[in-house]
Amino acid sequence: MGLADFWRKLFGRASPEDDALLAALPVERPWRQRWEYLPKRSAGPDFTSRDYAEARARAREVARATLGDALWDEVQRRGYLELPSRRFPGVTYRLRIGRRIEVRCARGVRPPWRQPFLCINPTYPLPEEEFFAHLYLYVRDREDQIIRVAAPQPWDQALGRTF
Amino acid sequence: MHRIIVANRRGHQVVEWEITDTEEAREQIAAAERILREAREQGCVVSKKVGGQHVLDDGPFDPQVEEYQIIAPIAGG
Repeated sequence: MGLADFWRKLFGRASPEDDALLAALPVERPWRQRWEYLPKRSAGPDFTSRDYAEARARAREVARATLGDALWDEVQRRGYLELPSRRFPGVTYRLRIGRRIEVRCARGVRPPWRQPFLCINPTYPLPEEEFFAHLYLYVRDREDQIIRVAAPQPWDQALGRTF
Repeated sequence: MHRIIVANRRGHQVVEWEITDTEEAREQIAAAERILREAREQGCVVSKKVGGQHVLDDGPFDPQVEEYQIIAPIAGG
């Protein structure tokens, strides 16, 4: 086993052969299926540990490309990204990979929700870094949708539909 | 090459097309347009790359766009 193969095995990086195999598969359109039956943090019974590793590696690439290098480096360094609310002055959303959104308020600002965490999941299973980038776009560009669907919660927790 | 990134449990898969005056390119573009429309009809959101940055977009499919991405619908809880 060469060093590159060992590295891929260790960190789940997709090889060119893996990419070619995936490219040969029909594009999976997850909106065509129902996923409610799946246990939390699962991509399905047909997924192997290698599938998980490869999916996470691909997700990391696309999340970085979606956010751009500066934001990606920031979340790697700080562990979160923050976005100010455009609807609620003095409110900031703190986003962390694979976790609920934390709602933070400036001093004297009344929180828009009684609970400090917002639970929002994708409707189909996704690697958590990929969904993190999606959630960032929603909060930045579609805050009204976030407000409409969010389930306020009293504590932090890993998201159930990501892995 | 232009592309749609389809986010799914595989991380993502890609639908690509070229802007050339050939039957193959026209078929690729039609297929890309179909997948974008279908995803939107099922509640997905679409982003497109503008100036090196992805922004959510409600506009019609434009084959000149460098990169689209299909974003998962969201639900609370």
